[in-house]
Amino acid sequence: MVLIVLFVAAVAAAWWFTHRTPAGVGDAITVYYAKADGTTLVPWRVSLGPARDPASVAFYAATQCVAGPPPGTEAIRFPAGTRVLAVDVVDSTADVNLSHEIAGSSKEGSFAESAEFKSLVWTLTQPSLHLTSVKIRIDGARVATLPGGHLEIDEPLSRSSF
Amino acid sequence: MSRSRVRRFSFLAQALAVVLSCLPFAAPAQERAPLLWFQGTRLILEHPQAQAGDIAVSTRDAGLRRFLDKLGATVAFEPQSRYVVVTAQDRRTIVFTLGDPWYTVAGVRVRAPFAPSNDGPDVLLPFFALARALYVEPVPDGGETVLQPRIGALDVRAEGGRTVVTVRAAMPLLIDTNADGPDRLQVTFVGQGSSLAPTRRALGAGVDALDVTVAGTARVPSTTLTITAAPGTAHRIVPAETPDAFSVAFEPRGSVSQNGPPTPPPMVGSPGPYDPGALVAPTAAPPVVAGRATLTGLAFEQGSDDALVVRVALSGAAGYEWHRLLDHRWYLDFANTTLNGPGRDEHPSFGSAQSVRVRQTGTGDAPAVRIAFTLAGDQAIEVQPSDTGLTITVSNASATDLTRIGTGRTGGPPVAASGASPDAVPSEMPWKFGTPSSPRLIVIDPGHGGADVGTAHNGLVEKSLTFDIAQRLRSLLVAQGWIVKMTRDGDIDPVSTDLLTQMHADGKANADDRAYLQTRCDVANAANARMFISIHVNSAPVSSARGSTFYWYKPQDAAFAQTLEHAVVATAGTQDDGARHENFYVVRHTTMPAVLIETAFVTNPSDVELLRQPSFLQNVAQGIANGVKAYAGAPALRQVQSDNGVSRQ
Repeated sequence: MVLIVLFVAAVAAAWWFTHRTPAGVGDAITVYYAKADGTTLVPWRVSLGPARDPASVAFYAATQCVAGPPPGTEAIRFPAGTRVLAVDVVDSTADVNLSHEIAGSSKEGSFAESAEFKSLVWTLTQPSLHLTSVKIRIDGARVATLPGGHLEIDEPLSRSSF
Repeated sequence: MSRSRVRRFSFLAQALAVVLSCLPFAAPAQERAPLLWFQGTRLILEHPQAQAGDIAVSTRDAGLRRFLDKLGATVAFEPQSRYVVVTAQDRRTIVFTLGDPWYTVAGVRVRAPFAPSNDGPDVLLPFFALARALYVEPVPDGGETVLQPRIGALDVRAEGGRTVVTVRAAMPLLIDTNADGPDRLQVTFVGQGSSLAPTRRALGAGVDALDVTVAGTARVPSTTLTITAAPGTAHRIVPAETPDAFSVAFEPRGSVSQNGPPTPPPMVGSPGPYDPGALVAPTAAPPVVAGRATLTGLAFEQGSDDALVVRVALSGAAGYEWHRLLDHRWYLDFANTTLNGPGRDEHPSFGSAQSVRVRQTGTGDAPAVRIAFTLAGDQAIEVQPSDTGLTITVSNASATDLTRIGTGRTGGPPVAASGASPDAVPSEMPWKFGTPSSPRLIVIDPGHGGADVGTAHNGLVEKSLTFDIAQRLRSLLVAQGWIVKMTRDGDIDPVSTDLLTQMHADGKANADDRAYLQTRCDVANAANARMFISIHVNSAPVSSARGSTFYWYKPQDAAFAQTLEHAVVATAGTQDDGARHENFYVVRHTTMPAVLIETAFVTNPSDVELLRQPSFLQNVAQGIANGVKAYAGAPALRQVQSDNGVSRQ
């Protein structure tokens, strides 16, 4: 009897957890990458797995954006080794914690730095995610700019920032 | 049965499996994880759990981390998310979902022997499934398991009149090539096994067949790719994107280009839903629409009875609307108005307003400016419009009439019609709140310096180039009659120690980085200069990017950026990459017209040739000087003393 109760509770909890879907999120999301000109964004549809809760979807979108488009695609890419450590969603803002490897983008001039953050912001602010702005942390710390960088990133970025 | 019902049953089955797996009677006999060898050494996983023919390994396992490091792969997971994303060196993603045995490799669904599960930050992944996705095949060998790197993918692509064959593997490739005939190329990949089909035929223009043979042992394999080209075809090995890839191009003999690597195609076939037809239009900088009014000045004064008087100067006419909120906030919005400077935060030392904030709240076609007060209570506020702006008086007395909304109109003739081009904004419009106190002063900011070298490629170093151009520009501007100040006068990265100390004391995030850039802004802000010009040199991860770009942040700076853009491109002959809106620190935190110029790319061959020529650097400086003259005219000549000691009449 106890096992049955446990089973029903587990099913109910898992059902609730997996079906907290942000309205409008379908089977795929759009990930943007910047073309070699540094300004043109290309939308790229990526299938979602079964998890559709806002935190999972936002994390998934950010990691796909940082990974970039498939091999062979000419694109401005995040520095190798850059990882998404966490994405916290509070109201309409995504707080993205990136690993320190992102600092390599500022070594490549403002061109890549701008294109990378632009693609990340556009990915996370697509309408179906219901997010309007993106905060950035590097290894957990809020920073004014990347070391030697150009872009100010300690205030929330939105599509109008670019 | 509907798809949703199938999903529901599938889900229930999974949940039941999870519950049953927890029961004591259902616990399987403990399997022993095999000994693993990788690259000639034992791969020791900390707590491997053999499971359903695979090994469950934690994402935080040090052995797994070493394995992924050698493959150039990274793993991302956070407990709030159900997704675990592994990114391979070639940027393919392998995505696991907690509780789901299906995972994806570059968008293709694959079933693992068991579903990943987590315990807090620990996620147990199917190790062999992950290894295979990274082109590493577990091969039994004498009771042990060898993790054999493999050639995992072979792309054959037609590009114009040629065919490009690309091989992708798990590890950086050791390659031995041998062209044993005019139309045959053999490439041996030492240390790599293969998961490829042995033969492919009639693959595209110039390539008749590909044959793959594997030799060696499980621990020391080698794979040979034999490419049979069509008669009369020549081949050329082209640079690959990553060390674990190899590319060779085939094209009719006599047409082999010697002009460097080919431009990769826009994209290769992706198994995922990838829609190249859905390209968005280039996202150029948003058009700047001049508002009917511009907020040009803001002054805080102490009125009678210690009241706070805020005088707002407007150029042009604007409607406004104010609101009083229940939480002691009060704000006024100017419609169709542009803020002629950065946002501003004030904490008056007198009166009953705890803070005052001024922001550009609307942009584009509907520019709007908001002045917001946080009050100590329900203070009375009087709004008095005039021909030149508006005065807001915050009394220390409580309001007897707590009206919550009011509207009005203020100001004089508009400075520009709505929708006018940025060029229509008068170039002599006072920028700062008030008039520049140093209207003859231009601050030049040579980007980077000292330990911050900027970008460096092809023997060119950004900090040296920016300083060279800045020095040339200084001479030209002084000759025009300007007073010039440089943010650095040598190979240093200037920082104000006072500012640094203050920022640390204020607990500013990343005080060091901020202080370095703010110091450069303060050189111009403290002097209330007429203009600020930051000079940089760009680089990009792709060599095709080239040209000059002119970045601005404050809407009013667009005209300055465009003027410099036209002048520099005309004089220096660089490709025009446009004037672009960007959230760059130094153009955002300076209070006068400010532009950051990326003059050319140190990663583009033609730009590199230009940047190596002193005449080009001189032309860039001359172009900027021409732009300054076009934007602001020449300062009235009088006896001046420039900061570098040059006197002019």
